[in-house]
Amino acid sequence: MKKVFMPLVMVAILALIPFVGVQYAGLSYLFGVIIPYTAIVVLLAGFLLRLADWLRRPVPFRIPTTCGQEKSLEWIKYDRFESPHRFWEVAARVLFEVLFFRSLFRNTKAEIHKDANLAYGSHKWLWFGGLAFHWSLLIIVLRHSRFFFPMVPGFTDLLSHVDGFFDVTLPTFYITDAVVLVAITFLVFRRLNDAKMRLISLQTDYFPLFLIAAIVVVGVFMRYLTRLDIMPVKDQMLRLVNFSVDAPGDIGALFYVHLFLVSVLAIYFPFSKLMHAGAIFLSPTRNQCNNSREKRHINPWNTAIKFRTYAEYEDDYREKMKKAKLPIEKQ
Amino acid sequence: MEVMMKSRKLLWLVTFAAFSIVVALYVFRNGEAELSQKPLARVSAIDSTKCIAPKEFMRANHMQVLQGWERSVVREGDRVHIASNGSRFQKSLGTCLGCHNNRLFCYNCHSYANVKPKCWNCHLSPMETP
Ligand code: HEM
Repeated sequence: MKKVFMPLVMVAILALIPFVGVQYAGLSYLFGVIIPYTAIVVLLAGFLLRLADWLRRPVPFRIPTTCGQEKSLEWIKYDRFESPHRFWEVAARVLFEVLFFRSLFRNTKAEIHKDANLAYGSHKWLWFGGLAFHWSLLIIVLRHSRFFFPMVPGFTDLLSHVDGFFDVTLPTFYITDAVVLVAITFLVFRRLNDAKMRLISLQTDYFPLFLIAAIVVVGVFMRYLTRLDIMPVKDQMLRLVNFSVDAPGDIGALFYVHLFLVSVLAIYFPFSKLMHAGAIFLSPTRNQCNNSREKRHINPWNTAIKFRTYAEYEDDYREKMKKAKLPIEKQ
Repeated sequence: MEVMMKSRKLLWLVTFAAFSIVVALYVFRNGEAELSQKPLARVSAIDSTKCIAPKEFMRANHMQVLQGWERSVVREGDRVHIASNGSRFQKSLGTCLGCHNNRLFCYNCHSYANVKPKCWNCHLSPMETP
């Protein structure tokens, strides 16, 4: 249980730091300018370095994970997307994986039944919860673009409109806010609910969930309960995207909690499992064509070996072999 | 195994209890909103000659004030706003807009911050008045 409570306590402390810092120590410059800039630099540099590191690793052989017939002879039907052999097929497979989590859709669950039979069954909850979580986060982040552009891009305006479809509460309730909270709750309880999952879950599995939950909860508080004054927030964000280092105006301390937790998330990102966001594109098991039958792949860093063929051997020893009455291929 | 089953049951129990509490809070929240039968309290007329609170306060908190007005008028029939200095105002958009009568008074900041409350779903927007 320490594995669960430690991250929880850490997130609570992280949330308290900016609150105390801004409310009682007046450190709004630190939390509104210095830390956000630091966070974005660490995120971008860290992300790129991790990608560069992965790209540098040689992958000489084809190791894609497939679950379909590989392309071989003309008259054998092959499976384009389960065993892709062209670039665009690979790209489509990666894209569908990223957008719809296809491999999670195949998730199964093993159970021992009362009569001691082992049974496997389809188990779509993780797929569904994960999809709800990621899509909601994406939509929320896209909606946030209204803080960073002087004129809000029409696309995200439409998105906010659709998201606020129910048109209840003031300001309008966004569906994704509820969906993401339900999804995070599910994802946490999924780990807590099962002995096997409890065993394999680490602090680093709970921490990002709690951190994102805290960001969302604080955001929801600001929007629906304390009704934050947006004007100075927008001023400040426009300053940040214009690389200005001017001090922020008078913004509520709760906003700094939101911003600081987001900064922590950004800094944590390149060092953690959250890098799966970049890694999914670079996984050799996903981004390679399965074309080993079409094309010979030679390991480029094999040391050159001098081979000696049997014909050469015979050339060297022909006379001796004749004398010893050994059979020879070429007279 | 026994312990596991117990903790699992407990978990469900806690989840269910939390859920019930939220639902209960939501349901009984309306208790206070009994439609009042008393006649609407009114100030005699709309007075738009002075502000109900200092500018800085209103800039940051007008949404809270207006939301409070909406609730207390619609649910409690209380139309009188008593300012901190004791003066009384009619809880009406007209009280504000009577003096802040620039057609773009709301629009300017709201479009900058991309804040789109749905006031004008029912009320007549200053942008729409002739
Ligand atoms: C991973 C990044 C972030 C997540 C997941 C997140 C999440 C949320 C959520 C769920 C809300 C509730 C209202 C809504 O859905 O729009 C919210 C509100 C808010 N967020 Fe974020 N946020 C993030 C980053 C940021 C950043 C970088 C800023 C800096 C400008 C920010 C500023 C705000 C503000 C000002 C509100 C209140 C909006 C309102 O009152 O309408 N958020 N956030």
